[in-house]
Amino acid sequence: MSTVPETYTIPVGPLHVALEEPMYFRIDVHGETVTHVDINAGHVHRGIEYLTTKRTMLQNVVLTERICSLCSNSHPETFAMAAEQIAGIAIPERAAMLRVVAAEVKRIASNLFNVALLAHLVGYETLFMHVMQVREIAQDIKETVFGNRMDLGAICIGGVRYDLDEETTGFLVAALDRLVPEIEAIVATYRTNGSILGRTRDVGVLTREQGLACGVVGPVARASGIAYDVRAVAPYAAYDRLPLEVHVLTDGDVWSRAMIRLAEALTAIDLIRACLRDLPDGPTRLAETPDIPPGRAIAKSEAPRGELIYYLKTNDNPQPERVKWRVPTFMNWDALRFMLADAKIADIAIIVNSIDPCVSCTER
Amino acid sequence: MNVLSLLGRNLTQGPYTEPFPFGPAPTAKRFRGRVTFDAATCEGCKICERVCPAGAIRFSKAKDGLAFAVWHNSCVFCGNCEFHCPTGSVHQTTDWHLAHEQARKYAMVEFGLIPNQTCSECGATALATAPSLRGIAPPLSAEEAVTLKSLCPKCRARFLKARRAKP
Ligand code: SF4
Ligand code: SF4
Repeated sequence: MSTVPETYTIPVGPLHVALEEPMYFRIDVHGETVTHVDINAGHVHRGIEYLTTKRTMLQNVVLTERICSLCSNSHPETFAMAAEQIAGIAIPERAAMLRVVAAEVKRIASNLFNVALLAHLVGYETLFMHVMQVREIAQDIKETVFGNRMDLGAICIGGVRYDLDEETTGFLVAALDRLVPEIEAIVATYRTNGSILGRTRDVGVLTREQGLACGVVGPVARASGIAYDVRAVAPYAAYDRLPLEVHVLTDGDVWSRAMIRLAEALTAIDLIRACLRDLPDGPTRLAETPDIPPGRAIAKSEAPRGELIYYLKTNDNPQPERVKWRVPTFMNWDALRFMLADAKIADIAIIVNSIDPCVSCTER
Repeated sequence: MNVLSLLGRNLTQGPYTEPFPFGPAPTAKRFRGRVTFDAATCEGCKICERVCPAGAIRFSKAKDGLAFAVWHNSCVFCGNCEFHCPTGSVHQTTDWHLAHEQARKYAMVEFGLIPNQTCSECGATALATAPSLRGIAPPLSAEEAVTLKSLCPKCRARFLKARRAKP
């Protein structure tokens, strides 16, 4: 009689049906329980960091937007913030407000996308499709106001590239009014639905101490009781004059992370409405495209996935000498070792999805 | 949200998807699609070529002028060219119907030509670019604009200098 060993190693990824991103996990399991996790990175390295030093500052505003699709607005925004810091530029007030509008529209779409995927991984396809359909409202905003479903093209060095007129403002307001009841209904479902709760409560727990040890950021941190949000602790654009609510939960499980994302989508709507209410007249950017003198700067922003940091070094050339970015997923995937410890094999994909990994910007 | 009520809602509302290609797909007015070029208003400053991150825009010297080309298959539809163009000569339309047969991939290009002209003043051969009108005060009359355009760069400078000198 042959016996099956109790302990064995399984590969998950880099291409795997349940992983949205190419990551490779080598997982030791005992029976059905995870005992050890090895994370292996580097499957989608494209050399963009090098490429930025071969492109001019103006081209890099576009290139950085294409590092990642879901955080696509945060990259050029933070890049532009670093450049503006070197040049000592303050952007016009209207531009600051419009930057918030663009960033928060992206946040709504990004967070809903992740929450939808959670339903898909739980096996609740009806809910998955419904949340994706609600997200489609945010996609329509992007297409109507910015002209593209993913890459908004909203940012330029010294301000923003787009403006809101009566027609686009009207569309935006109406779309937000449609989004609120839909998202509130989704929140109620995720709060009460047995299939969701059964698969996400007390799954993939990250305690506050573990979170601090890993330096997690974004919704992952805030679901583990760490009230860290760049928009609140180091306000940029117009966040210091907007009613920003930082949501914190303490359970640190997959469910808490999803609830934080949903709550932040609703807060994003409040922020956009506040911007539309207070939007001053005036220029949307500097009159002249500024020259960026030699210098160094660090800028950070709160991308949908968490804190995004840019380092920029310029010299006398039109191309930057060095651009480096630290993306939220880089901090958060380290915490997967804690979240996956003692997890069931069936929960691996759900837990990995709960950090909302963006491997394309982590490995650039 | 109750799944049954959701199903009911979907049944009464019908599909969310657009019936394309059997019906029209609505396109936003601001949609950033295929790039077009208008040689008549272009100043030939080549800013669009410089800021295009994809290298989709190329100017090249031709026998009869300055040739412009935008390769739609290289373009990433970022709109940088239009944003930085001082005249609006390069412009993103709302046309997104760019699917094509593999055999046509090298035909997905829009060409334009800024032709050579003979300067109406000195007779030199120069590009018939649209003259840069920013900062010219008082603004040119329609007649003056036509004259200015027919000149070579040197004669344009002389024309504007003489105009400024006029009381
Ligand atoms: S299209 Fe615009 S940016 Fe390009 S060369 Fe002509 S005027 Fe300059
Ligand atoms: S839209 Fe962007 S990629 Fe396309 S031609 Fe213009 S600058 Fe180049």
